Amino acid sequence: MSIMNYNGGVVIAMKGKDCVAIATDTRLGVRSLTLTTDFPKVFQMGPTLFLGLPGLATDTMTVYQRLRFRLNMYELRENKRVRPQVFTSMVSNLLYERRFGPYFVEPVVAGLDKDGTPYIASMDLIGSYQEPEDICVAGTCSEQAYGMAEALWEKDMDADKLFEAISQSLMNACDRDAISGQGAIVHIVEKNKITTKTLKMRMD
Amino acid sequence: MALLPDLPKGGFVFENFQRNEFLKAKGFRAPKATKTGTTIVGCLVKDGVILGADTRATSGSVIADKYSDKIHYMAKNIYCCGAGTAADTLYVTRMVSSNLELHRLNTNRVVPVICALRMLKQHLFRYQGYVSAALVLAGVDEDGAHLYSVTPHGSSDKLPFTTMGSGSLAAMAVFETRWKPNMTIEEGKKLVRDSVAAGIFNDLGSGNNIDMCIITRDGVDYMRPYEEANLKGQRLNSYVFDKGATPILTVHTIPLEVEEVMVRHMDETMDTSA
Amino acid sequence: MEGLIGIAFKDFAILAADRMSAFSIITIKSDENKLYKLSDSLMMAVCGEPGDTKQFAEFIEKNIQLYKMRNGFELTPRSAATFIQRNMADYLRSRSPYTCNILLAGHDRETGAELYFIDYLATLTKLPFGIHGYGSFFGTSVLDRYYRYDMSEEEGTKLVLKCIAEVQKRLVVNLPVFQVAIVKKGEIKTLPDVKMTPIEVN
Repeated sequence: MSIMNYNGGVVIAMKGKDCVAIATDTRLGVRSLTLTTDFPKVFQMGPTLFLGLPGLATDTMTVYQRLRFRLNMYELRENKRVRPQVFTSMVSNLLYERRFGPYFVEPVVAGLDKDGTPYIASMDLIGSYQEPEDICVAGTCSEQAYGMAEALWEKDMDADKLFEAISQSLMNACDRDAISGQGAIVHIVEKNKITTKTLKMRMD
Repeated sequence: MALLPDLPKGGFVFENFQRNEFLKAKGFRAPKATKTGTTIVGCLVKDGVILGADTRATSGSVIADKYSDKIHYMAKNIYCCGAGTAADTLYVTRMVSSNLELHRLNTNRVVPVICALRMLKQHLFRYQGYVSAALVLAGVDEDGAHLYSVTPHGSSDKLPFTTMGSGSLAAMAVFETRWKPNMTIEEGKKLVRDSVAAGIFNDLGSGNNIDMCIITRDGVDYMRPYEEANLKGQRLNSYVFDKGATPILTVHTIPLEVEEVMVRHMDETMDTSA
Repeated sequence: MEGLIGIAFKDFAILAADRMSAFSIITIKSDENKLYKLSDSLMMAVCGEPGDTKQFAEFIEKNIQLYKMRNGFELTPRSAATFIQRNMADYLRSRSPYTCNILLAGHDRETGAELYFIDYLATLTKLPFGIHGYGSFFGTSVLDRYYRYDMSEEEGTKLVLKCIAEVQKRLVVNLPVFQVAIVKKGEIKTLPDVKMTPIEVN
């Protein structure tokens, strides 16, 4: 078994028209035993910037804490908010520094740029990243989620359609994974507001 | 324990290594990093040099990226294709690229291609093959066009044509049958295209588009994509869900209001002297 | 092979820990203390590698007490949990990592009783109830069925006893004695040990 499957969890991000969405499940387990159903793996890193860290839960926390520190230092030094692209670089650098003793997380970044341009990126555990035009997927049921998201995503969806697409992708992917699911949180980032919705999911 | 840890000073960090070995001993496999899979090729022509690459990145058998960028910028006159662990190819080329720019500013001349080659192979040799990047380096300098291949262990070859990556065998077969000295750029483009295509269609680790980069004394022509080797089929139906299809438990909205707009004008240009 | 149980209710939390100390397949003693009082309304249950648990627990205990002396106010349960998690994470990346599993129960003036779960990998999460050790496979089922947020102290105590009974009945490992404590606002109440009825010899 891979260490990535120790705690379970999945994160999906999608681009829409002038909006992005990022979704996470909320389960935390130790192999097959569920500890809690209140452990989201997505964190807000700025007014319109979110970071998903599925993988080994202890590293989810440590990486989040270290990035929060680096981000705070950046904002104090530069006296400006971090751009999503720059933040991706920051995450990637943190991970590649540990090339030979990595953190077991696969980060997903989603946010809007200052001018409202949607941005998503995903990374492997040592910091090789891609910035796709459509979807980003990471976590224990990423293969299922790839299939769902690839089928449901369309170009230029509005916030409502994007929410349905990402939610259905996540829910149906989790339904084929024993160690993800049991609740989900979806953030939809638009230029003038952030909407956070919790989904009603199967709890088995 | 430091309350406020220092920012990293550079170099790799091994703090997780012992823990990860302990987890490995407990039977937890280390996860797979993204590999490029890859067919990358390079070919000298009469007036320059051409690089070609596919755009598939894989993580195990899953395609992690369909449009990955494998022809990396090194300097205005030098580009480099990377194969192997995606993160290693990215960071080794990015780091050398920065050092080349510093070198150019220090020496005030066009950096020679061998300079890039030496930096790359010294880094790779130092890490004894653990930084797993197989590279095809190409560029044009005062002495003309050059093409090198670099292995992950740090050895290199100066060649008229070369291939790397999992699709290198298929691509090399095309070069071996059709390559000839002093080809025109058009002939070279055709040959590079066909050789990358051979990798895309005969190696499962390579796929999607063909990127190409032509470097001559007159400049660089970077074509991304040069060709979409196989187009995705057009979807006939829409699978968009109706609004309200997903059951929701709670909704929380945070409005983002602009309180103040401040514009800073950066009048002075950056000081790059000394 | 050990068992820690923790449950948080509206304004009190209960911690229970077995009293066994084992070496290889031998029970060395059955009156080991695994509950550590950190302050008037904060308590920690620790299990894991025998030497590590005591060393780490006492380190945390004294540091949290030192914090109160230095600053004149106590760490909230949330801050204490973060402090423990960070220390474990840092030690995990040192030459001498600690292998312990922790349950932290406390009372916060604003949010009421809280329970935090920390495992040997330094995974931290807030829970309504949590169990460390193989007992979790039996205990969590019992708690899933009977737990209510607004239980009274009496009901809560009964619930813990139900869990302990289930663990002692179904788990192959012998955990005959459990210590139990209730964490309330400004008070930690230790209950008498829960003992399995031993088989009478002669």
